[in-house]
Order: sequence, then structure tokens, then C-alpha cells
Amino acid sequence: MNKSPKILVIDDDPDFRAAVTPILKSALYDVVMASNPQEAKEKILVDKPDLILLDIMMDSLFDGFSLCHAIKTSAEFKDFKDTPIIFVSAVKEIAGSRFQFKGDEEGMVGPDDYIDKPVKPDDLLARIAKFLKK
Amino acid sequence: MAEKPIILVIDDEDAMRDSCSQILAKDGFRAETAENGHVGLEKARDLKPALALIDLKMPGLSGFEVLERIKAIDPGIIPIVITGYATVESAVEAMKKGAYDFLPKPFTPDELRIIIRRALERRKLAFEAESLRREKKVMEENFITMVSHQLRSPLVAVQQYFEVILAGMVGSVEDTQKDMMLRARERLERLLHLINDWLDMARISRGQIVDKLKPLALDKLLDRQVEFMKPLALEFRVGLELRPAEGPALVLGDEQSLEQVFSNLITNAIKYNKPDGSVTITIRAEDHTILTEVTDTGIGISREHLPLVFDQFYRVSRREDQKLKGTGLGLAIAKKIVEAHNGSIEVASELGRGSTFSVRLPKAEPEDK
Repeated sequence: MNKSPKILVIDDDPDFRAAVTPILKSALYDVVMASNPQEAKEKILVDKPDLILLDIMMDSLFDGFSLCHAIKTSAEFKDFKDTPIIFVSAVKEIAGSRFQFKGDEEGMVGPDDYIDKPVKPDDLLARIAKFLKK
Repeated sequence: MAEKPIILVIDDEDAMRDSCSQILAKDGFRAETAENGHVGLEKARDLKPALALIDLKMPGLSGFEVLERIKAIDPGIIPIVITGYATVESAVEAMKKGAYDFLPKPFTPDELRIIIRRALERRKLAFEAESLRREKKVMEENFITMVSHQLRSPLVAVQQYFEVILAGMVGSVEDTQKDMMLRARERLERLLHLINDWLDMARISRGQIVDKLKPLALDKLLDRQVEFMKPLALEFRVGLELRPAEGPALVLGDEQSLEQVFSNLITNAIKYNKPDGSVTITIRAEDHTILTEVTDTGIGISREHLPLVFDQFYRVSRREDQKLKGTGLGLAIAKKIVEAHNGSIEVASELGRGSTFSVRLPKAEPEDK
């Protein structure tokens, strides 16, 4: 591949988007941003990212999960169902229990990987590289 | 309520069913009848009645059996027993088995009406209490999750900037700058810990653990904890050993919160130890409890400090040791969790020799599922 892989960062926090950009640029990735699920959907179809970093908790907890599920299963995004999605989140607990993604139980398709905020630059780049090498 | 409350009359006597139906229909209820226990249970399942009038003496399935099974079908159904042999014993037994009240035969229409009215009132109150309880719980849970998110987000954003700057990704950083930023990051880290611990405290006070109790193999949980703690023990040059009980150590517990308890106790035992010291975790089965002792050979706690270790924000060591970071809430959280399990936690210690924390948790009996 001659072109640099493109990464879509979906997060409603402008500071996170600002901070994560230099990390991704340092590894020569193209970076595209979206601050809400609607914008994210448009960017996926227009910019065709190679990998997606998705914040779980935007306005509500449901946003991240349902967006992920939509990308992985809906006809609209059928060209992107194999695009790796990495959940990024500062949420450690949800409603009283330690956070665990229980996609199967909810009948939802989960992410390919998942990383805690604040992300360690090396860790993030290593995880991204793992998916994009193939 | 727009819909008529359904009242199910389970009685083998035709006359009883007819007269009850008449009285109830006249009072604006929908009366349904069943001539025996089996039909009665079936109708209870299908019709979801508000109340059930159950004759105690029926051929086949007895009234007592119907009483027990109807509770399992829907605990919201209020059962009232009708008894022709109104002895104190049968009434008491029926009440023990969950009957709301009893009606001795023969009874007048007014006696029936009074009891029905009271039972419906009681059902309404029970419903209201239950829905309030649920609403309150959901609100509390959402509130804690939102507070957690709101408090953590800005701190995490600041940390994220530090990560990027410290990684040299936005220009080179001088050593003094780096040093200060590392310290700043460390302070933020502690603040995040404090927020987490504080939210844990808030959560445990709200008694959410009780809902999640189930039989749990404590030996396996501790085995995982010990495995997980080995790197830390190595770092502090402390030996770490688990001595399991003979046979299974099944407790009634919530896995995640018990992990938190023992992770806290074992971490303390390692960190407040001496180099080349040891931490021993012993599991023993007692009559109704499982006892877990976490023993260290560390600095110990003096007698005057001992009663205070489970207090919030109390810390034995006040020195600013980088390695001994904590919020002072760990043991207070551990105590709250253990007590929410109906267990107990105690400490014995000798200054300079070490401490033993003993946790007793109720055994899970085979019938607890």
C-alpha cells in the first residue's frame, strides 16, 4: 500500500481528539475526526477509514455501542463491516459493576479491541499496527 | 385502574364458588373460579389475578400446596385462605406459608368485602413501594455513572495531553519540564483513584451488593488474585503464598466486590511489608463461614491505631512514600463490602512483627442457587 492508512477518531471531547492526533500522525497515519455518531456515519462513507477509534460514552452510553453494532451489521455499512473498531473509554464502571463489554448478552456486535483512556501512545500505536499490518 | 381487578376463587365446593363470584361481581371485580388446585394454579398463571381465595381443604392438591406454588408463579398475587376448619393451627400454618389473611367458613358477604378491600390496598401499596424502589435504584445508578463520567472526563483529558507531551510527540521536552509533568500526572492519577474510591463508597452504601450475591468459589478467586499480585510481590521482594482449605470454599458473594476486598488486603500486606518478608493467605472452613486470613510480616500497626484502620481517610503511615500511594479509603471500602455480604472483617497486629486481617464470609449452602 502506498497510501497511508486512514484512521477515523470518533469522540465528543475536543481535547481527546486534539491529543490523539499527534500520536497517530507520529506513525504517519491519516487522521479524520467526528464528534458525534451522525457525523461519524457520514465520514465513514465519505472517507472510508481503515480503522476506527470509537469513544464508548458520548452523550449516552448507548451511542458508542449502537454505532459499533451498526457499522458491523447494517447494510448501509456493509463495505466497512470488517473495518477494525477499537473502543476507547474512560468508563470503568457502569451502573454499579466494573465495566465489561457483554455484547453477546445484549445481542450486539462488539469492537475488535478496547483500550482505556488516557491511552499510552506506544500501546495505542501497537494495537493499531496489529490490525493494519494484515 | 381502568381494568377490573381479577379475583381467583379456588374451592372445590360449587356453592362457595358461586356465592363468592356473585358477591365479588356485584362489587365490581372480575371473579374467576377453579374447582381444584391444579386448575387454580393454571388460571393464576394465565390470568394474573390480584388476589386468590384458596380453600385449604380440597381433594387432590391441598390448599397449602396451592399457597406455596402460587407464590412462585407470581409473588404479587395476594393469597387469602378460606378454611372450614378454622383452627388456630391451620390459620397459623397458612400465614406462615405466605397467606395474607384467612377467612373462616361460614362468612358473611361483608366479612369477605372487608378482607378483599384490605388485601387490594395492601397489593397497591406493595406495588407502589416496589416501583419506587426500582425507580430510585435506577436513578442512583445512573447518577453515579454520570457523576463518575463527569468527574473523570476532564482529568482524563488532561492526562491524555501529558501522555502526548511526555512521549515527545509535540516537540522535545527538557528534563525539568518532564520531571514536573510526571509529578503533575502522578497527582492526577491519585485524584482519579480518590474519585473511584469515593464513588465505590457511595455505591456500597446503597446496598447494591446484596442483589448480586451468588455461590462463589473463594479459593479460585484468591488463586487468581495471588497470581495477579505476583509481580508486585516480586517488586517489593515479598514472598506470597496461598494455603487453600481442604475441600471447596464456597461462599455467598459478589465476585467483583470480593476481588476488590482481597486485592486491597493483599496489596497492603505486600506494600506494608519488609524486604524478604512474606504474605500468607489461609482459607479455612468453619461451621457456617469461610475464614480467610491475610497475614504479613510487615511493619504492623500499633495498639492505639488498630481500632482506626477501617475508618475513612485513616492511614497508618503518614509518610510521603511514593510507593505507598493510596486514598485512605481502601480498608473502609473492604469493610463495607464484607459487611454487605453479612460477613465480618477483623485485624490483629503487633508493631514491628506484622498484621493479620481476617475475613469471614457466609458459606454458600447447596440450596443457594
